[in-house]
Amino acid sequence: MRTTGGQLVMLIGINVLLLAAGAAISGGSFLSLFNLQSMTSQLPEIGFLAIGVMLAMCAGNGGIDLSGIALANLSSVLSAVLVGALISSTDSAFAFSIAFMLVAVIVGCLGGMINGLLISRLNITPILCTLGTQMAFTGIAVVVSDGRAVTVGSPEPLASIGNGMLLGVPVSFVLFVAVAALIAALLKFTPFGLWLMLMGTNPKAATYAGFPKDRVLIATYAMSGMLSGLAGVVIAARNVNVKWDYGTSYLLIAILIAVMAGVRPEGGYGRVICVVMAAIALQLLSSMLNFGGLSNFVRDFAWGALLLAFLAVSRYDLVGLLTPGRRKKPA
Amino acid sequence: MGVKSKKVLAGSLIAAAVAVGSAGALMAADKPVIATVVKISGIPWFDRMETGVKQFQKDNPDVVATQYGPATADAAQQLQIVQDLIAKGVNALAVVPMDPSVLEGTLKRAMDRGVVVVTHEADNQKNTQADIEAFDNADYGKALNERLAQCMSGKGKWTTFVGSLGSRTHMQWVGAGEANAKANHPDMQLVDPNNESFDDANGTYEKAKEILRKHPDIRGFQTSAGNDVLGVGRAIDEAGLSGKVCLVGTGLPNPSADLLESGAITAIGFWDPKYAGMAMNAVAKLLVNKKELKDGMDLGVPGYEKVKITKGAGDGVLVIGNGMVLVDKSTYKDRLF
Repeated sequence: MRTTGGQLVMLIGINVLLLAAGAAISGGSFLSLFNLQSMTSQLPEIGFLAIGVMLAMCAGNGGIDLSGIALANLSSVLSAVLVGALISSTDSAFAFSIAFMLVAVIVGCLGGMINGLLISRLNITPILCTLGTQMAFTGIAVVVSDGRAVTVGSPEPLASIGNGMLLGVPVSFVLFVAVAALIAALLKFTPFGLWLMLMGTNPKAATYAGFPKDRVLIATYAMSGMLSGLAGVVIAARNVNVKWDYGTSYLLIAILIAVMAGVRPEGGYGRVICVVMAAIALQLLSSMLNFGGLSNFVRDFAWGALLLAFLAVSRYDLVGLLTPGRRKKPA
Repeated sequence: MGVKSKKVLAGSLIAAAVAVGSAGALMAADKPVIATVVKISGIPWFDRMETGVKQFQKDNPDVVATQYGPATADAAQQLQIVQDLIAKGVNALAVVPMDPSVLEGTLKRAMDRGVVVVTHEADNQKNTQADIEAFDNADYGKALNERLAQCMSGKGKWTTFVGSLGSRTHMQWVGAGEANAKANHPDMQLVDPNNESFDDANGTYEKAKEILRKHPDIRGFQTSAGNDVLGVGRAIDEAGLSGKVCLVGTGLPNPSADLLESGAITAIGFWDPKYAGMAMNAVAKLLVNKKELKDGMDLGVPGYEKVKITKGAGDGVLVIGNGMVLVDKSTYKDRLF
């Protein structure tokens, strides 16, 4: 494996710079506790989706998951409709919350498994497969909800996932960090993680080495789907209502985050911590521009510039140029 | 991680600490800040609203009024802007919700923090203190129909178009129009009413051609969605019936200009987003200053001199103005946007 501390250091550096710039623009209120809480509570929904995209990319062979936000909406809408029909969210808040979260994550997992099955068993190219399932998931969500918003309400403990604080940190962010850490550990310490990365690096070798290729693929996309389900839970918890067309812009932003985090589009390499840092960087940048009262078109430009900068850095090993002692030989 | 990385990290932490330390010194918010958040920026409708917000700022130097909006039409993007503005500490939010249901949770949190929340075009929004509507839907439908009747001299066949049968406001408009024709113009005969246009100028054009073939003696069209006048107007124009068949409907001056000039469109009705933006800000300023909203009060904005106040969908109120505008060939140039 190549050394990649450089990418992480750069991401952390960028985050610190953005925090400082935000403080300068806003006269300090950018670093107020309330804004830090506000930003960290906005982060998880897109963060979950970005980790899902990263997992799919790592699987190699053109792996990508375009169905993320569609599946997140389907999980929350379907779960709200199903659970809402059986349990009242006001009378038995606790049962409703638990059932809602479970069903949403299960729907996400099943949707992801469908992706995995189609890709591994039927050998459909991931980009086409997930484009198709994306439309199918959106369609199902429209049908079950009649195209209208579905009310989830604010039953406890679901509402505290959206709005609650744990020692001053939003609960949704704590959940996000915990899940991210779990996946990072899974990738680093289990055979699954090793298989996934090696398979992404060289699928042919993986076949000859006798890896359980199909099972790894299905598990990967199922995990990506579960993350979508979690994103759906967080969206529902924060917004009170869920709707099939929420967050259509998230699709590309999630991919942007993954690429910015140095995940290799050809597969075989990606670090969860970098994805988390890249997600934070995009959040800081967009909040900072809102604080500065700049047009949202500037934000799109800034995101694009940031992405190009990162691509240039990883392509030409600029961090290596700055620290000549550790410069690696060009490939 | 190498020594180098550690140094970079340490440096970053120090820089962050310095930034935090210097924070707070510059906090100086003496004037109340009113943030207008629109559905999407960069389209003519909301550019026009921004001229209203700028006008309001000029007229009211004792507040800070600015407009924000997402670059893409996505409720999630609008939601993030609203959240950032709440965190920034604005005193009032004037929101034109992309999707009222998505904003409920966040607007409630804003109000819990003492932020004044005013909305527009969202009479089903629960978590708002006041929702501003430019006009009463029944009055608007009646006014469109009255203008049509005037052009048709009160007699002949006419029909109606709606965006879709599920569009509540459109059905209210044509419903009020029908009632008006029935009550005041008994010689007007409604044929094949409530055609669905889906706000698609091309589809509307095809449908209008069909109607012109089926009813060669038709004299009038009343349309609802923004693109309907363009489709129906083109059909009338191509049939050489400009000036002979009357067309009154919702539309915007700039796109309709050619057809208004040729006489294919008799008149268009709309409300001016400029004044809607000013009215939202005016109500927000009143609420920030803890003033009460009273039935019949004057907001100091044209079309909102004597507003009607009724109960809203939630705890807030509905503020209904009389901001409808009907323009024809001779007057549309005053409101070109």
